[in-house]
Amino acid sequence: MSDNIYLPQLARVASIKEEVAGERSIKTFRVEPVDGELFEHQCGQCAMLSIFGRGESMISIASSPLIREYKQFSIMRVGRVSSAFHELEVGDVVGIRGPYGNNFPIDDWRGKNLIFIGGGCGLAPIWPVITTAVAQRDNFKNITVFYGGRSPRDIMYRAELDKLRDAADVHLSVDKAEEGWDSYCGFVPANVMDKAPSPSNAIAITCGPPIMIKFVIQNLRQIGFTDEQIYTTIENKMKCGVGKCGRCNVGKDYVCVKGPVYSWAELKDLPEEY
Amino acid sequence: MEKILDKKQVDAWVAALTDWEVHAPVLEDGIWAYQPVSGAVRLNHPNTKQSPKGFAFPQREIFFSFEQIKGEPPKLTQIMPQAARHAVFGVRPCDGRGVPRMDKVFTDHVDDPYYNARRKNVAYVGLACNKPPSPNCFCLSVGGSPVSTDGLDVQLTDMGDRYFVKAVTETGKTMMAAASSLFAEPSAADKKQLKQIHADAVAHPQRKINDPDGAPAKLEASFDSPLWEEMARACIGCGICTFLCPTCHCFDINDEVQNKAPLKGQRVRTWDNCQFPDFTMHSSGHNPRENTAARLRQRVNHKFQYFHKNFGMHQCTGCGRCVSECPVGIDIVTVVNKVTENVG
Repeated sequence: MSDNIYLPQLARVASIKEEVAGERSIKTFRVEPVDGELFEHQCGQCAMLSIFGRGESMISIASSPLIREYKQFSIMRVGRVSSAFHELEVGDVVGIRGPYGNNFPIDDWRGKNLIFIGGGCGLAPIWPVITTAVAQRDNFKNITVFYGGRSPRDIMYRAELDKLRDAADVHLSVDKAEEGWDSYCGFVPANVMDKAPSPSNAIAITCGPPIMIKFVIQNLRQIGFTDEQIYTTIENKMKCGVGKCGRCNVGKDYVCVKGPVYSWAELKDLPEEY
Repeated sequence: MEKILDKKQVDAWVAALTDWEVHAPVLEDGIWAYQPVSGAVRLNHPNTKQSPKGFAFPQREIFFSFEQIKGEPPKLTQIMPQAARHAVFGVRPCDGRGVPRMDKVFTDHVDDPYYNARRKNVAYVGLACNKPPSPNCFCLSVGGSPVSTDGLDVQLTDMGDRYFVKAVTETGKTMMAAASSLFAEPSAADKKQLKQIHADAVAHPQRKINDPDGAPAKLEASFDSPLWEEMARACIGCGICTFLCPTCHCFDINDEVQNKAPLKGQRVRTWDNCQFPDFTMHSSGHNPRENTAARLRQRVNHKFQYFHKNFGMHQCTGCGRCVSECPVGIDIVTVVNKVTENVG
């Protein structure tokens, strides 16, 4: 890698999969280095992706650090750069620099029950932890995954989630009942409350829309989880990724350096500027 | 190294600095601005409209260029700043103290290669303030002094028909050595006069932040104060406070495209501004700092709470530009005093 923190490495799009169609569509991209190797990363870290001529955007790395051949990103079409990503074809070359931010302390969680709670495209940032935990299945006790979307068509990683059932308890949900949907109907926090996972020797990791996170944490606290047992990620607009451009701070710390992973014990006392 | 330089010899010294491109404040259309000079250096300015931060951190700079022919990978060409050495004359102590603060930002955690490449080629020849050049000066409130040498390579003190010249760094010594015959040894009387000028300078009344040491904790406790909204009501979000500030470092990174096919353009860094709504606006439209009150609070907290917690110093050097130049009269001294009074 170059010493120049702002100079991206070139990466080729190896595959593109449409996860969710429609106005807020989500596509999953796997990128491989054009030359040499890509950087190593930890679960929860992010990368700055470029489309030259359009700009850069900070995206969480959705593949396990155990996978070295490619890095995976699931990107919702919302802004200038993410929209440009949705126009890419396999073989196109993008820029990538990173890794940025802290990580989920997965090594500290050995011997524990892991409960993942995701909503919408919030499955992507916790997907590396889920898949790493599953790859190191013997290191952990029960693995439970709650995940929900607005409708069955908004469920991402559908096939991967089905495959996950061999190693984990998977509880899917959709916000509104729909014909042909035989899992839970209702919001993700309600599904968590309904199944009421035990806080005993457990860590809960949640990511999704802010309103979902808020109620998930509220419900987890009610079930008996302590603030230290709950982890989440936050996001803010970022430009540099290295704590210099000045915009992503929450309190005195920049999310791009000290985040995106926070325990609720750390996060609850910070100003809500995210 | 301490010397005396006759004011008539300043131009000769500037001429002897052949390794340097010398910049000094020049008055043009009523505005003092740093400009390249080869002589006629008269350091009789109050302070410049803009701080000298642009020498190491220009308002716009290119990171790299990109070119792409359809079907081929893009070609990136890194563009590092050219090695011009800038000697900046007449830097006021507040602006000198801005330099180590910018250094902290751009070297903490990881080095910024563009900043470093420029910074190592800038020397700051300061001018002590015998009296505050602006009615809004408050350097003494933020750990500074009108005779501070912090961040400077050389300090000049105006002693009437001559300057007392003090080398602060090795670079400063080299610059003085480039014209050693112009400098005289200071007499005991010169040293006594310098001491008196500096003592008078420090004793000169300034505006005052009432509890600068208590500000970080008091601001933290005042995050939800209704005063933020009251104080920011007049703000028009023009951002002049940050653009003129010697320590504001926030920036944006964008791609500029000269040609779409074949693609040709460059990635540029430009100064950005925490007072602009889109500074923090997510693509979704959600904005964590959605109004002027939240943005004023961020600027004041960054300067008097967050930076202090991270680096043990206020990120404000008391130059008073943001106070003097705000078109709607928002005054950071008053804001800090009001928000922190009656707290804790």
